Amino acid sequence: MKGLSQADLAQRMDVSRQTINSIETGRYTPSLPLAIAIARFFGVTVEEIFHADHS
Amino acid sequence: MQTTAKTSRKYLATPIFGVLMGVVYLVALSVAGNPVSGVLAFAVMVAFSGGLLLARRRSETVRGLLDHRDERISAIDLRATAVTALVMIAVVLVAFVVEIARGQSGWPYSMIGAVGGVTYLAAVIVLRIRG
Repeated sequence: MKGLSQADLAQRMDVSRQTINSIETGRYTPSLPLAIAIARFFGVTVEEIFHADHS
Repeated sequence: MQTTAKTSRKYLATPIFGVLMGVVYLVALSVAGNPVSGVLAFAVMVAFSGGLLLARRRSETVRGLLDHRDERISAIDLRATAVTALVMIAVVLVAFVVEIARGQSGWPYSMIGAVGGVTYLAAVIVLRIRG
């Protein structure tokens, strides 16, 4: 989202900025509650943000 | 407001525990007739606890380790604890084998290993029951 920093999103999700960065770069898979909270924040479904990568 | 108050208490738990352990060391070493070492041990624990609180202001990792609000840091904490436990078990097992190879009874490593084994089994059972 334009104008939204990792720190802003982290504060809204009650996690650290490092965690948001790790999720963005694919180094950390969030829990289901956090994934749902992030999806709700952006007004989309979980599947639209997170993809199961079985490769 | 209540959430903030709860969070404040939570991040203070480890530093307070550190200070309390310092008091225990002070009393134990004083009882053993070595109050100077007791004061030194207490000072180290107070410095450690104070250092944690200072580091919390600058480090998101330390903040997460103290207040357990960040799920990723909590997961890292859990895995680090597991690695630490594995290393401790390995050290206890090696020390036990060395002791019995020397013709000793293996005490206290046998007892430490037994406590670790029973604790692991109990934890598995309890966690399995809880789902």
